[in-house]
Amino acid sequence: MAHVSVPMYWRTIPQRYKMIGQKCKKCGHVNFPPKGVCKYCSASSDFEELKLSGLGKVHTFVLISAGGAPPEFADQEKAGGQYPVAIVELAEGPKVIGQIADADPKEVKIGMPVRTELRRIYSEEGVIRYGFKFVPAEGK
Amino acid sequence: MAIGISGYAAYIPKLRIKKEEYAKAWGSFAAAGVAEKSVMGFDEDVLTSAAKVSKRALESVPMPPEKVSGFALASTAAPYVEKLLSGTVIVSVGIPGTAFCTDHTSSTRAGTEAMISALEHMMANSSNRAVVACADAPTASMWDSLEHPMGAGAAAFVLSNEDLIAEVEAYACSASEYLGERFKPKGDEMLHDLNVKKYEEGSLLTNTLKSGNAILKMLNRKPEEYQHVVIQQPDARVPSTVAARMGFTDVQLVAGLVSKSVGDLGAASTAVGLAAALDAAKMGDKIMVISYGSGAASDALSLKVVSDRKSAFKVQAELDRKEYIDYIKYLKIKGAIV
Repeated sequence: MAHVSVPMYWRTIPQRYKMIGQKCKKCGHVNFPPKGVCKYCSASSDFEELKLSGLGKVHTFVLISAGGAPPEFADQEKAGGQYPVAIVELAEGPKVIGQIADADPKEVKIGMPVRTELRRIYSEEGVIRYGFKFVPAEGK
Repeated sequence: MAIGISGYAAYIPKLRIKKEEYAKAWGSFAAAGVAEKSVMGFDEDVLTSAAKVSKRALESVPMPPEKVSGFALASTAAPYVEKLLSGTVIVSVGIPGTAFCTDHTSSTRAGTEAMISALEHMMANSSNRAVVACADAPTASMWDSLEHPMGAGAAAFVLSNEDLIAEVEAYACSASEYLGERFKPKGDEMLHDLNVKKYEEGSLLTNTLKSGNAILKMLNRKPEEYQHVVIQQPDARVPSTVAARMGFTDVQLVAGLVSKSVGDLGAASTAVGLAAALDAAKMGDKIMVISYGSGAASDALSLKVVSDRKSAFKVQAELDRKEYIDYIKYLKIKGAIV
């Protein structure tokens, strides 16, 4: 399991629970998840906080099946079967990886509109790690 | 100044299991009047549901989350026995950390308990605004027929003193001491019930009639003056039993009776029922809500509908959005195969 300590996870709660990203004050690009130095101009660490809409489109995706799931997601795969993991292009520009929930894996398509929703991601040391997953946005 | 509901929403997870699946697996289905019930997905729980439904309720007003000064959460199926549960929800929704948060967790009556706690927060200061989120997915052992009715769902309400959809006219409570009905001993994950039918019905009727009749007396009303009555729905028959004893008819129950298609929603039962009644109500209608929780207690609330404005998130739309699963899949999602 890719261990993420609780204090480390805690620091990322704003981005995981409510899509808080940052806007570079130098080049104006939106970074998500937040970075130390702007990913786009590599010249600034001066940001303003920005709450993203949570809306986006599937840029590309894979389906994770038995044996392919990382250990922290193995039970999810066993209980629910194959699940989609996508790179989503957010409305504000950044591309981000996330699971797609509430969708038939066969119906996931490139370009499909999605939006974020709070879900249980996995549990470690008895602590539930909540965060965003994508769900179909039904045209919104 | 009138205080009441200025926004509301429901959320029913999309998975459903039909009573026929239970009949195939166990030979019977012990949930009177329930045709199918809702099931949370593997990556959902009462906190993710509460977050979703609270956002929806605020959108329905619309009210920015920054304005909320009080948050009350109700559930009997919290993922932690100790730890602030509201924290997960308010951070996700964007409700300020200065809000007075209360977690109500030990009874199926917790939904109205949360509502009354939030109402009292509203009475303290006219600029206060509150969100009440009731989300539940009660669980018992798969070996116990007590498990059969247990569904999953959530509803949330925004309380305000402006832009009201329904005004809260009065509330009343009944608390008493009854033992052996629906209880979870310390350290046990599963619900127990000694299943002494007549005795349990005595507790149900004693408490619900006491709180319900207190409202009628307080407001000098007759049962027929209410267009909609929402009563705790451990199955789809209990509300009729209580209604008949109070002088209500089944017609008054129709709009708020959701258990036949979602099962027992525990602490969210009267909340989702109230959301459904608000969807159907017309301006001027009066709604009575009567909760019940073992041990035993009951709260009753009387509401007067003061606007024809409705939430964009209709309970019927939530009921219509569904995907059926079989009993094996159900066991897997519930983590019942170990």
